[in-house]
Amino acid sequence: MTSLDTLTARQIAAGIAAGDFTATEVAHAALDAISARDASTQAFLQVSENLALEAAAKTDAARAAGESLPPLAGVPVAFKDNMNLLGTRTTCASRMLETYESAYTATCVQRMLDAGATPLGKLNMDEFAFGSTTDSSAFHPTNNPWDITRVPGGSSGGSAAAVASGQVTLALGSDTGGSIRQPASLCGVVGMKPSYGAVSRYGVVAFGSSLDQAGPLGRSVEDVALAMNALTAGGRDRLDATSQNCAQDHLAHLEDPIEGRAVGIIPALLEAEGLASEVRTAILDAADKLASAGAHIVEVDLPNMASSIAAYYVLAPCEAFSNLARFDGVRYGYQEPRCTTLAEQSSLSRAHGFGPEAKRRQMLGAYLLSSGVYEKYYLAAQKVRTLITADYQRAFAQVDAILMPASPTVAWEHGAISDPAALYLADVFTISNNIAGNCGISVPVCLGADSGLPIGAQLQGPAFADAQLLTFARALERACHMEGIVAPAFAGKGGELA
Amino acid sequence: MALTKDDVAGIAEYARIALTEAELSDMTTYMNDAIDLLEPILGYDLDDVEPTFHPIGELANVARDDVPVAGLTLGEALANAASWRERSFLVPQILADGGAA
Repeated sequence: MTSLDTLTARQIAAGIAAGDFTATEVAHAALDAISARDASTQAFLQVSENLALEAAAKTDAARAAGESLPPLAGVPVAFKDNMNLLGTRTTCASRMLETYESAYTATCVQRMLDAGATPLGKLNMDEFAFGSTTDSSAFHPTNNPWDITRVPGGSSGGSAAAVASGQVTLALGSDTGGSIRQPASLCGVVGMKPSYGAVSRYGVVAFGSSLDQAGPLGRSVEDVALAMNALTAGGRDRLDATSQNCAQDHLAHLEDPIEGRAVGIIPALLEAEGLASEVRTAILDAADKLASAGAHIVEVDLPNMASSIAAYYVLAPCEAFSNLARFDGVRYGYQEPRCTTLAEQSSLSRAHGFGPEAKRRQMLGAYLLSSGVYEKYYLAAQKVRTLITADYQRAFAQVDAILMPASPTVAWEHGAISDPAALYLADVFTISNNIAGNCGISVPVCLGADSGLPIGAQLQGPAFADAQLLTFARALERACHMEGIVAPAFAGKGGELA
Repeated sequence: MALTKDDVAGIAEYARIALTEAELSDMTTYMNDAIDLLEPILGYDLDDVEPTFHPIGELANVARDDVPVAGLTLGEALANAASWRERSFLVPQILADGGAA
């Protein structure tokens, strides 16, 4: 009997095309896996059974009619709940949008559907993507499939947990400061933050408009590359002014050798305070494996990276405050009853609709954008952004990719870090990539020597070198033998194809 | 200089987020901790550095062809509103004094 646990996205699509099984059987198997597994992971906020079966039936009808099937035909996929999909609610894991019905479908979601994927539902996240644990969801936390007492990371924690536990083959997340790469690292899956502009942001609820980027998570680099093909197919999206034409075959050079290519490491970063020794060891081992594959390991420096947290926590809250001002309880969202004035209604709707972290980020943004403070912090942060971007340009003149951790530690226990400012510091390895608009990917490289939990190595590449970055990610994956793994506690529980 | 509770109350009013007294205390602590975290960017001499407001430097405004296309219907636009009447979103009075002043 075949299980979805053992099939790649390409194998699912090929199996449907060959008539080995139908898309409807795949959809039922995925629904079965969700039914058997999600009580433990709590990755889903909604399961879209009807949409899944409708899409699968459409795929089966196309095959019956003799049509050629698209590349993700019948592949189970789910979406972070900040992405609009007609026929589902888009809650951003917030009471503010608890009943919000999607009025349209996001371009990134539509492109996955156009590629034939079967939509299984919407996934949990930190409220409005503010966080790195998924514990700030207004509805429930999500548990790490490798140890359900631990966080899956965030903010795309539902996306990482759903893929790691084998409930879906692919998921989409969004990454404003590491929110795809960090949960991918903590859950042992591949997670890619594409270059800013590579994937349309239309229909993805905005957090930081100059930083946000949607991207895929999967259990192999090939699956993620297939999703990148789907997400960039059609080129520039006219509905997003920042969208760029990045349509290309991300599989074309996936298996290329990396012999003679240069990979950077930043020695100072590997001595960073708070970096767990097992993570450091894993990254150094990953560098050795890339060297064994023929890459030159070159020491590079990003001298202003130490200031990236400060710059990010100016820029992101400011953009968030601006974006979330729209939630005033009038056109959509929670509305406080029995208010006598519009101002009272707005203030109480926002007070009771948003959770603590959403309020904190907006308050910080409001302060930083206020008169006199703007010049001191916001303008300075935008100038530091120039310096960080220039650092990367100098580094990428020497190397094709830079290797570093995605997270300083493995997954930690729920509630173990409660100080918001301490949590912000854990973003140190990911956020400079968003500030510069480059691409990044986390690839599982091993289980930690001390913890036995997954560790991801992050590779960062220059803006719009996404396909090249995938080549390095695949080389690392080949050397580490961590592809296609479903978390052991969940493997084999439901998900069989009849 | 650290932000006081009164400062934070003023920011909350501007941000349109009504905070309880307990929330105000916690928020004041948070704001001061978060601002401490931002200190590194104040140590730079940035006089000769141009700001980067966006990672894609050469953005241009885009406009589609000036032809009508279907948008949300009235029903779709109102569907997620908590309060509406006929063709409009319904809100309480806008001026606190009822507009008499």
